[in-house]
Amino acid sequence: MSRVHDVGGQSGFGPVPLDDDGQRFHADWEARVYALNAVLRARGIYNVDEFRDAIERIPPTEYLEASYYERWLRAIETLLAEKGLG
Amino acid sequence: MRFAPGIRVRARVLDPDHHTRLPGYVRGQRGEIVEAEGVCPLPDDRARGIVPPRVETVYAVRFPAAALWGTGTHTVTVDLWESYLEEVG
Repeated sequence: MSRVHDVGGQSGFGPVPLDDDGQRFHADWEARVYALNAVLRARGIYNVDEFRDAIERIPPTEYLEASYYERWLRAIETLLAEKGLG
Repeated sequence: MRFAPGIRVRARVLDPDHHTRLPGYVRGQRGEIVEAEGVCPLPDDRARGIVPPRVETVYAVRFPAAALWGTGTHTVTVDLWESYLEEVG
């Protein structure tokens, strides 16, 4: 079975929200999470596919309630713990 | 490169318990090769820390929307790694 992220073709989620305010981040912590991920990937701690896998492993109820960068943070925490760096 | 443009293929019905770039909505569906887009490491292997990962040709594969969604006259083109595909006999 597909994981919770694989929503292509599912109905009921409403229209795709379009952030057209020109703001890349909507809180300072989001920019920090973005930067943290960039550094960890650049240093070879994990690759983008491990990162995507970690996002997809978030339990479905938590995944659906989390914002975009909350999922990123959760995935970073998961990978660092699994690699003994947390 | 195994598949030439125009070849009819079917997306395999894979059900991995790890990351994959094969979306659920194309599994088992028939499409047509648009073009080969180059070679790229297989995300399924990289996500599992397999070193070295398999390196495969990635294809743009076109599917009729009506087959995927039950409606629509347009097509949907998806980037798919070679091992996600099988030729339709």
